[in-house]
Amino acid sequence: MMMAAEERSVSSETTGETLELRDIVKHYPRPGQGRIQVLDEVDLDVESGAFVSLLGPSGCGKTTLMNVISGLVEPTEGTMRRGGRDVTPNDLSLGYIFQEPRLLDWKTVAGNIEFALEARDVPESEWDERVTRYLEMVNLDTEGDNYPTRLSGGMKQRVAIARALAIEPEIILMDEPFSSLDEITARDLRQELLDIWQREQKTILFVTHDINEAVFLSDYLYMMNSNGKMFARRNIGIDRPRQYDDPEIAQREAELYREFHEHVVE
Amino acid sequence: MNRTQRFGYGVASIATLLAIWYAGGITYPEVLPGLPETVDSLVTVLTTPGPYDHMFYFHVWKTIEMLFASLIVSMILGTLLGIALGRSETLESTISTWIYAWLAIPSLVIVFISAIWIGFNASSGFFAVPVVITPFVALNMWEGARNLDSDLAEMAEFFGADRVQMFTDIIVPQLAPFLFASFRSALSIGWKITLLVEAFLLTRGVGFMFRRYFDQYDLPTMMSWLIIFVVFLIVVEYGVLAPLHERVMRWRPDAEGVRVTE
Repeated sequence: MMMAAEERSVSSETTGETLELRDIVKHYPRPGQGRIQVLDEVDLDVESGAFVSLLGPSGCGKTTLMNVISGLVEPTEGTMRRGGRDVTPNDLSLGYIFQEPRLLDWKTVAGNIEFALEARDVPESEWDERVTRYLEMVNLDTEGDNYPTRLSGGMKQRVAIARALAIEPEIILMDEPFSSLDEITARDLRQELLDIWQREQKTILFVTHDINEAVFLSDYLYMMNSNGKMFARRNIGIDRPRQYDDPEIAQREAELYREFHEHVVE
Repeated sequence: MNRTQRFGYGVASIATLLAIWYAGGITYPEVLPGLPETVDSLVTVLTTPGPYDHMFYFHVWKTIEMLFASLIVSMILGTLLGIALGRSETLESTISTWIYAWLAIPSLVIVFISAIWIGFNASSGFFAVPVVITPFVALNMWEGARNLDSDLAEMAEFFGADRVQMFTDIIVPQLAPFLFASFRSALSIGWKITLLVEAFLLTRGVGFMFRRYFDQYDLPTMMSWLIIFVVFLIVVEYGVLAPLHERVMRWRPDAEGVRVTE
């Protein structure tokens, strides 16, 4: 389990194809009371190059689904397919940005990125170049020698983003990465994230409980209820670049909110 | 407070202590040996061979040897035990009560029992001292192991860290503060037990010297030995432990060094 990511490599034949999750079920045993259903026959398509959001109330199994894709959690049932063949998390090239930055406080900012590079067996000769490149990308090029304990919340999350980018993944999983930041910092980071996503041509699967955030960021989104059931896929259909105060966004948000509310509050 | 100020206060506190001692020695000579007499005995202890023709450093070295050999053994055993307790619920519920029972046994009893089991020789000390201090280390490390951050372990697992990386970059740094705390408490308890062993069972070491000069009612010489060993412990703390601690904990934000940007 600890070695889950060791042999991870990209199988080039399937890169560029849609990642299809089918009938993913996950339940945990609950002593004496049967079991807790966390994911109930979930289907999800992550199209290559898309910004996909997964919207759901707190505690609905969104994180579990991310962990199934990343290989941190073994699903009870279900398959992941890509280009017509079954794939495991090890076949995917993934980056993960958690809700908390999860930095090693005892390592410098650069050291934290090197930790990931070392874990992914990136040759040491490439470290300097990657650290510089990705710290620049998140506008932290002057903080490489600083310690995370001396950074603000927003800057820590930038380091976490740089760390995920540094292993040069094809798909980036993001689990409510901005939910603990203040709104002004979060808006800046969302904009920067979109810039990086477009420039670097990444695929992003973004978990959130914030409809406004999902509408602003995504190409399309999935909605999930508290029983771990995925009940809708909706396209956003608003041209980019988008503006926060665009009435179109507010309108789309209102529509989706109504639909979400009907399904989630019963 | 800056460095000079801190140093100034340190010097002032030592000077005050010496002044009170001097005054006390004149006022209550039967309670407190006079400062001048103590300095005289200290010079005698430091320059002339004592019982069995051994210079002071022989005794100090014997005490240090027993103390640090015990510390090494206890740190290893206590750390392993503590981590095992912190990581395994089964182990925790099976033997945690025994740790508290172990802690409740008076050290004097452990020393006496060791003497009966092993005899009136140094081996008793090398057995008794680790037996007394290991549970203190275990208790500290148990606390540390219980507080290991599972989020960080998950992050490391996702990125594919191997066991070595997991250990050196994730686990050890989180346990470091607990290792220091363990070592400090083991040091301060361990040296008292070492003295006890030497006073009751042996004919060398600082503890033996206390016993010997207690038998002779020689308070100034006892004071001299106390000074020698306290100075040694202070040197260990400020010369080794504190700088090492600072180095290892460099990443911690301190009141003066915090620089929060953005």
